[in-house]
Amino acid sequence: MRRTMLYLPGNNPNMLTRGYLFGSDGLILDLEDAVAIFEKDTARILVRHFLKQGEFGGCEVTVRINGVDTEYWRDDIAAIVPFEALSGIRVPKVDSAKTVELLDEELSAVEEKNGIPLGRTKVFCLLETAKGIWNAYDIACASSRVTAIIPGGEDLTADLKTSRSKEGTELDWARRMLVFAARAAGVDPIDTVFPRVTDDDGLRKEAEFIKQLGFEGKSVIHPNQIPIIHDVFNPTEKEIEQALKIVKAAREAAERGQGAVSVDGRMVDVPVVKRAEYTLLKAGISEVK
Amino acid sequence: MSKNALGREIPDFIEGYGKTNPYKGAFAIKPEGFKAGPKLRCVNNDRTDKLVSGIKSAIVASGLKSGMTISFHHHLRNGDYVVNMVVDACAELGIKDLTLFPTALFGVHKKLIEHIKNGVITRIMGSVNGPIGQLVSEGGMGVPVVLRSHGGRPRAVIAGDVHIDVAFIAAPTADRYGNICGTQGKSACGSLGYAFTDAQYADCVVAVTDNLVPYPASPVSIPQVFADFVVEVPSIGDPAGIVSGTTKVTRDPLRLLISKYASLLIEASPYFKEGISFQTGAGGIPLAVTAFMKDAMIKKGIKGSFGLGGITGYFVELLKEGLVEKLMDVQSFDLDAVRSIGENPNHIEISADWYANPWNSGAAVNMLDVVILGATEVDVNFNANVNTEADGALLHGTGGHQDTAAGAKLTIIAQPLLRGRIPCVTDSVYSVTTPGEVIDAVVTEYGITINPRRKDLIDACTAVKGLPLVPMDELAARAKRMTGTADPVAVEDRIVGVIEWRDGTVIDVVRQLKKA
Amino acid sequence: MESMDCLVTATEEPAGTGVIIQISGSSAARFRTAMEKKVREVLDSMGVKDINISIQDNGALDVVLGARVEAAVRRLKGGAVI
Repeated sequence: MRRTMLYLPGNNPNMLTRGYLFGSDGLILDLEDAVAIFEKDTARILVRHFLKQGEFGGCEVTVRINGVDTEYWRDDIAAIVPFEALSGIRVPKVDSAKTVELLDEELSAVEEKNGIPLGRTKVFCLLETAKGIWNAYDIACASSRVTAIIPGGEDLTADLKTSRSKEGTELDWARRMLVFAARAAGVDPIDTVFPRVTDDDGLRKEAEFIKQLGFEGKSVIHPNQIPIIHDVFNPTEKEIEQALKIVKAAREAAERGQGAVSVDGRMVDVPVVKRAEYTLLKAGISEVK
Repeated sequence: MSKNALGREIPDFIEGYGKTNPYKGAFAIKPEGFKAGPKLRCVNNDRTDKLVSGIKSAIVASGLKSGMTISFHHHLRNGDYVVNMVVDACAELGIKDLTLFPTALFGVHKKLIEHIKNGVITRIMGSVNGPIGQLVSEGGMGVPVVLRSHGGRPRAVIAGDVHIDVAFIAAPTADRYGNICGTQGKSACGSLGYAFTDAQYADCVVAVTDNLVPYPASPVSIPQVFADFVVEVPSIGDPAGIVSGTTKVTRDPLRLLISKYASLLIEASPYFKEGISFQTGAGGIPLAVTAFMKDAMIKKGIKGSFGLGGITGYFVELLKEGLVEKLMDVQSFDLDAVRSIGENPNHIEISADWYANPWNSGAAVNMLDVVILGATEVDVNFNANVNTEADGALLHGTGGHQDTAAGAKLTIIAQPLLRGRIPCVTDSVYSVTTPGEVIDAVVTEYGITINPRRKDLIDACTAVKGLPLVPMDELAARAKRMTGTADPVAVEDRIVGVIEWRDGTVIDVVRQLKKA
Repeated sequence: MESMDCLVTATEEPAGTGVIIQISGSSAARFRTAMEKKVREVLDSMGVKDINISIQDNGALDVVLGARVEAAVRRLKGGAVI
């Protein structure tokens, strides 16, 4: 599940120690924007030591490395990839399939050098420019490592030469398009952060909106945002009840060798059954009685 | 030397304290005999005015001599002027060798260090925060400090263990015959809960006020029959230090996480029903727990019967919103609480005796369902320490910790597992304040750890999906794994602090720190 | 300084001096032994024999202490930081 992915400043020992306790599905140890230029080296070492210790609860652990346009990204990858605790890297300003190919090459080299199964390190692409958004589908398809695409907020807005609004008008098309691109390519669309950390109502509204659009989840900059987003993304009692009914009916139909599934007197297609199974998965229900 | 019921080594006799009664168990001792009492007084109608011209005159009139015991309440907290004024005056009058018997001391009282060094004060019975605590830990006092809880202190006075010669009562409002009120005046502090026992049992009572009103004052907390003298001064305290602004619930994620777990524990317990009573302190975590509980109570449609202890504006809001029927207030922490206790008949002032004394016909803590407390450390037997820090320095008073833990049906210690590198869960606490016998659960950011004595709570929590239960040995092992093994604290043999349990027995001693 | 962090200053010492460690701050009172052990462990793994490590601590666990010591030494010695 990727309902929430919490950013942890890569140079902050307190957050690196405790970040996983807040119960997000994933973590993003940030070596990019959270770290000042003159601390890039010390943050990299700190994150490496934490990856080696590997205590992150059940979270999916990723690291936001510095962009391929910087002098840091190769050292970032070399430092972090060898560790089993690392699931993937989140890469800023990916704007074309070429960037993904470059990353793929570097990752493969480091994986090979360290005796790690090729392809273990996944790539989460931040699409923070107009070009990146435009190329969303190609980027998502460019490598089997790509597992998610995420729209940038601040940087994207700047690239569009407009400003950020409360309603999110400027991000609207990018969000919608990104969901289509991601689903078409078979990767997860994850939304950008909600910067107003004390605006709980605003966060809930935005989470409800992007859930409806089809996003898998949201990036998070403050632990207090996690329960709200989980509440929005978790299936409701009614949805779970309905999903249980559908999955049970599908199972019974399969046992009887019947192709058609019917629930409450209505025909239910395969995609509906799949969605019901997915709902149960999100609700943490694996056993269907 | 003998070991008390918790295995702590307690000498049979301590220089500067006397013969010790070793702790035998939280409820082991029952008193016999009768209450002690102060001098009889007689004042006839030839005296209709108890005013004296100043602090010095009051001290002289009281008959205070070197070697006697003086007492103060701490309702003016860090804004208090009275303790310093009185002790300064004693020094000027050449009075020395005094025993100081405050209900607590604050940073503003660090001036007393000078008087300690000069022999004006040679013994302290009460909490010693901050610089005074450091001085004591390093051996700066000739006799040990004695620490008692909010309930143990009145017990000691009423049972005759401590005799107060002169009580100086800071009075936000008073009349010339000594009626005292805490809810009015520029230095209003709300409840005067800690002052009652002193007023009733001291041989001489001096009311110190900065708001003299025409006789008779009303409302009255402490009636005129106790006051011997009244002094008017320009100011008894700094309002900014007496009361804070309104206390707001923390937004710190770690504290919210811990508070959420504590609230879930309460909700899972058998006490979360109509009429629940609870006490939470004014700290970040307890306040946040109250906030979560409030949401849960609204959701479940239940109301609380009463809130107890130190009252904040947040609790007052619960009262106003009808989520709790009554407040029983032994200490008012902020302006909202001060205002409320003065206006709302459902906000009741209670004395320390009423609140927590184990040797009366039933204190308020006995009626408490839930209490949320902190601690500097807790050990694998659930013993808690609030008096000393990890470096062995004697710094904090006991407060109501022992009393509420002994009285409440569900006692929760809620705190982070680590404070920096200092673990809050250890194999054995450096000094014991409150025994594991009365502590039901420890809640940290890693989850809920329930005392094995409470099978009923363990069962109740296991039944609820998603409650993170962590066994104590796992929690302690985690702390040790994260922090590493601590070096032992280097101490001398000399005892600098005696920690009493509510019943006057000695639950632990604190020894002098070796110089670095 | 952030909570759970420490400031490490590494300075050169002439060959044969050995490892000198100074620790001040919140954990020093109870965890000096454990902290010195961690510092020596990191220096050993880096092959450093003569050095002066001064630590101003604000509650750093071993994982943090180790990282900060390594970073200080690398900055002192120069070269790639991976």
